[in-house]
Parts: sequence; C-alpha cells; structure tokens
Amino acid sequence: MVELSLLSKYPFLNASKEYIKDNNLSIQEILDDPLYERARIIGVERVDNAFSKRDVGERSLVTDSDQIMELLSYPIARMIAVCIDDIFFKRRYALGEAIHAYRNLINESPLFLINITNEFKINIKFDKDTHKISIYFVDYLHHAPTRYKEWKMINRGMKNGYIQISHKDLARIIQEALRTRINNELDERKCSKSVYETFSSDIKRIQNSVMLHRKNIEAAPIGKLDNKKLPPCMKNILAAIQAGENVPHMGRFALVSFLHSLRLSNNEILKLFSTAPDYEEERTRYQVEHITGYSSSTAYSPPGCDKMRTYGICPTEEIDELCKKKRHPLSYYKAKWKQEKPKK
Amino acid sequence: MGNFLNSNDSLEFVKDEFRKYYKDNSVELPDRFGRREFAFVLFGGKGIIRHLGFEKINQFTDFLKEKTPGDIYYSSAYYQIPDAPTMQEKNWMGAELIFDLDSDHLPNAEKLDYTQQLKMVKKEFFKLVDDFLLNDFGFDEKYIELYFSGGRGYHCHVKDPKILNIDSSERREIIDYITGRDLKDSLVFHEQVTDRKSYGNRSFPSGKTLKMPRPDEPGWRGRVSRGIIEMVNEIKKSDDPIEKLKEYGVKKSDAEKLLDDLSEERIKRIKEGRLDQSKTIRKFFLNSALRKTAVSMSAGETDEPVTCDVKRLIRLPASLHRKTGFKVEKITLETLMEFDPLRDAVVLPDNPVKIELNQPFGITIKKEEFNLKQGIQELPTYLAVFLIGRKKAKIIL
Repeated sequence: MVELSLLSKYPFLNASKEYIKDNNLSIQEILDDPLYERARIIGVERVDNAFSKRDVGERSLVTDSDQIMELLSYPIARMIAVCIDDIFFKRRYALGEAIHAYRNLINESPLFLINITNEFKINIKFDKDTHKISIYFVDYLHHAPTRYKEWKMINRGMKNGYIQISHKDLARIIQEALRTRINNELDERKCSKSVYETFSSDIKRIQNSVMLHRKNIEAAPIGKLDNKKLPPCMKNILAAIQAGENVPHMGRFALVSFLHSLRLSNNEILKLFSTAPDYEEERTRYQVEHITGYSSSTAYSPPGCDKMRTYGICPTEEIDELCKKKRHPLSYYKAKWKQEKPKK
Repeated sequence: MGNFLNSNDSLEFVKDEFRKYYKDNSVELPDRFGRREFAFVLFGGKGIIRHLGFEKINQFTDFLKEKTPGDIYYSSAYYQIPDAPTMQEKNWMGAELIFDLDSDHLPNAEKLDYTQQLKMVKKEFFKLVDDFLLNDFGFDEKYIELYFSGGRGYHCHVKDPKILNIDSSERREIIDYITGRDLKDSLVFHEQVTDRKSYGNRSFPSGKTLKMPRPDEPGWRGRVSRGIIEMVNEIKKSDDPIEKLKEYGVKKSDAEKLLDDLSEERIKRIKEGRLDQSKTIRKFFLNSALRKTAVSMSAGETDEPVTCDVKRLIRLPASLHRKTGFKVEKITLETLMEFDPLRDAVVLPDNPVKIELNQPFGITIKKEEFNLKQGIQELPTYLAVFLIGRKKAKIIL
C-alpha cells in the first residue's frame, strides 16, 4: 500500500485509482457529497492554476484530510478539463499537471523515480554502485524533448542502446510522459452531464477566459502575414506549435527563418509562438533572436523544399499543385501573392 | 549513333532474361506478407505501379510470371488495408527501420567509377552497421538484415519489434545521430581550469586547458575522440603530412602551421585528452573527426527522406535490379567485408549475346576484366544486361 501522502503528491499513479476504488468512493459522491466540497474547490483551483500559472499549484498536505482532498481534486480537475472542451485548454491543463509533478519529482530519490517509470513502461537501468541511470533509447525517443538541441540523442552518450541520463533528466522525461498520457486520456473522454451540471458556472467562466485569450492572440496584427498564403509545410508547423504539439528543432527553425524572411519582426514572430501551451517567453525569445541574427550576427535563411523533405517536415501527402512547381517555401508564398493580383 | 534509350528489342531481351530468372528462382517475401503494399516498375512502362496488395503468395508469384517486372518493391510499413488507394485509408500499423545507403549520397561520388563507388559505399555501410547499429544502438544481430541493393548501394533492415512503431520524427532523430547532425561542440570539448591565482580573497583562473573526451567514452564523445587520435596518427605517420592535411580540406599555409604545432609532446597531450589548440584548429579537428566517423547517408541538399519515412518502399530481396540485372543479394555480417557485388550479385547466365556499345567501357566483373571498345561485340548475357540497363548498349539480333 502506497502512503496517502505520496498519492496526494502524485495523484496520477495507478495506486491512486486503487485507493479511490478501495474506499468505495463513487463519482457521484465526490461530485455531490458536502464532505468533498473542499476537493471540488481544489479541483477548480487546479484547472485555474494550470491555465494562468502553468502549474496546478502547491497546497498544504499536512493532515490526512488535506491529502485526501488533494488526491480527489485530481480526477475532478480532469473531468472539468474535458468539459471545457477546448484543445488548447486541454493541452495547457496537461502541461500544468506535468510541470507540477516534475517540481515534486526532482526532490525524490532515483529509486522512487524508477518505480514511477515502470508505470509508464519506460525501460530504465540503475547501477546500484555508481548510481548511474540509463534509459533504453526507444523510450528516450518517445518521451525526451528532443526538440531542444541539448536533448538530441547525438548530444547524449549511448552504448548498447542505453543512454545515460541524470536524475533531473529522468524527472523531465517522466514529466513529458505524463503530459502525453494526460493529453491522450483527455482526448478520449467525453464530458459527463453530471460533471457539467456541478461545475457549470466554473466551466463557463473558464471557457470565456480561454476564448478571450484566443481572441487576444488572433486580434494581434501579425505584420503583413497572410495565413492563407502559407505553404502547407509552414501551415502545419505553425498549427502544431499553436496546438502545443512537439515540433522538432528543425521545424521551429524553418518557421522562424521563413517568417523572418517575410520581414516579420522578432516580436511578431514571438506573438505567433505565444499561443503554444508550453510557451516560455525568455527561452523562445533567445531562440528566435539567434535565428534571425539579432543575437548571433548571422541571420539564417529558410530551408528550401529539398531540405524540408530531407528533414521530414515537408508534408508530402498534403502538397498541392503549386508546391510541385516551387522549390522553396518562400517562392510558394510569393507566387500566392502574385496569383491574387490580376484579380484586383 | 543509334537510339540507345528506347530500343524495344533491348527491353524485350532484358525482360526475357528476367523472366527466366524468376521462373527458376524464388524471391524472398517479407514477413506480414499480406499486410504489405507492393509496387512495380514494368519494362517499357511509365512510372511506378503502386498500392498493390496480395493475400496469398501464389497470387504474387503468378503476377511475377505474368508481368515480369523490371523492379519490385514492398513497403517497409505494414498496413491494415495495404491495397487502399490512399495512405490514410491504408491504416499504418508499423514499419521496419530501413537504412538505404547509395553512392549518390557520398561526397565526390561523381568523380569515381561504378566499382570505386561500390567500395566506398560499402565502407560507409560497415560503419553504419558495426559502429552504430550494433554498438551504440545495441541491436541484436538476429534483427538486422543486410542486402546489396542491386544498384549502387546497400540496404539494412532492422526488424527489432521494439522499433516497429516509432514515428517519423523519432526516426529522424536516429538519422541525425548516425549522420552526426547537430552535434554540440561544447558538449564534446570543455575548458578546464588548471591554475588559479589569488588576489586578496578572490581567486581567478590563470591557466586553462581544453579537455577532449576519452576515446572509451560512450556515444559521440568517444567517437570524436577516437576520430581525432586516429587523424593525428594518420597525419604523423604519413610520408607527406601536408598533402594528407590537404585531403582533409586544410589550406597549405594552415597545414604547415598545424604540423608545426603537432610536436611529439602535443600529440602525447592530445592522447591524454588535452587539446590545447587554437579555436580554428579545434574546429578543424571536430569537423574532420565528425566527417570521418559519421555515416554519409545524404549529402544534404538533394535527397528524399529515407529512413525517417515511415511509408517508404524498398527493393524486394532476391529480386533483380532493372538497371543492372544484379540481384538484391542478402549478406551476412560475417561476409560483409568480403562481399563483392560484382561477383556475388551477378546471377544472370554467361552465354554470349551480341550488342552494340556506344562508348568504351571497362569493368571487372565475375573476376574477369573487360576493356570494351565502342561497337558491335559478343558479351556474356549478364554483362550485356548490365550495359543495356546503364544505357550504354543495345541488343543486336
């Protein structure tokens, strides 16, 4: 039996589900019983925090009651997230849970982390003498944020299929695995009527702020950029970034250098990225400024179609007739402008 | 000069040889046969015929006998509905990891003749299999299959069940690793403070040395280290070190300077992992070691996505290559070093046929040296098919 204090910190564990089952708690009880009023309040808090602070938040977990309420708030928050029914919001909520878990995980022992990886079916080796942790490369590929250069497999030591990682790296890998799992689970579930009724005012309130947030982004003028004229590759990358999906380094690079060539300012480019659920202003600003030559003395030019194909970011199944004639995303965009002119 | 491109007689002749081959020999069908997409290029046909699926093996062999295709491909992926007309409808279930090394992708390949290209690409292929797939990735030998492509390269199929469902961007990561893309030099080399001076109660670093990884370190760190040591040895041992350095792309003046710098003492220090060189020399070492140890899979600019494409088509083992008549021959790890495609993949008969050659041509094939002059002559069938495939000859009936 896992201790309740641990379950409340890591409510996503299978043992948490078992705890709820063992205690014969029904969903209806959790939703209706005045006993769990506090769990419901924390549930809403989790969702709010995830949206506004990118972390579901830290609460006191001293007493048994604290811990039970915290534990129960997790399934409640998830059910609310499903009912808010917005892809951006769902991604953002999953990120908030994952980041919160990460902040706790970095303080745990390696063996504790390894126990958690078992639940995600991540293959880890731990050397008891040297305390070195290594991960099977396929699991690394599935979960490590290889979109960042320092996480690329080439910049890690690999031997016999195992990559050595630090304790902190392992916590980060669990964060990513958890984020993916919550994303998938939220996408599979449907909003239950009783949840919607219980939390209808909160759900509507949050839906409104999500909409406002989206409008703010969309209303922001983005230079002279016309989204409709973007080639399919750039459209895909932009959509993926804005939906918070993992876009590999090269994809981000291609988009930024492309937009820079269209004379978008760094701030305008940042604005496009800012809709991503995992947007970090400072980090993104650094990367954008590097690519556009603001901080690196060279402004990189965007890759051509050949290179895009080589990197596997040309959506070969979505290319249109114009793509076939063009050899560079920029010439596609320019041709789209020209096509329009004669009509005027 | 006659029309060497569209000679119907030549095509019919090659097709007939292929027909005889497929009558007497069987091809190697992939596992999950019914879930694969098949594709063919027919003799005289335009383009590739795709999206074919076969439920039973005898349907496939009947097709071969009836059509005698010039090239046969199957999908590295397996699908729920392999013969659906669009990729979305096929429903992807997984795919082997395929590495396709072609001499096209090697630097300066155009300056080499066919035989030299084949040798060079084999060297790259060996590096890929031995150094990367077996060593770094730790794949079990039983999951690795090697083939000569029948054309200008080699294929490696990795069938480890653990990698069948990795997606396209994850495959890209593997390629980046093998081709040495995005290696961060600050992760390979780092400065180490060797001495400190104190002023009052503050201390400042006064000596720095550039540390290089040890050759036995895992992954790319060890690989770069081994590459550098090997290079230094090569340069020192060479009769004309300046020339050797020029091969690595160093300018003459820089080469002289570098050589002056490479004293015995320095070399000893490098082997101990201390690379006290100027920034340009460090960069040179890193780049050269990288080029030396990475696998040249695509020379960058013009290349289709290869391994990372989860829907790619690959030549069917034991089928023939339309442009050479050579067999897609299976190679074992043990025989890879000795494998000679111009001996081991030549399977067509040697009965003589008459052809007209449009240019002089020399090749050693099946251990026999041919120095052919332009014009009409009698040659063994396998060579005639090869020359016709390469558009250098036509059949004379």
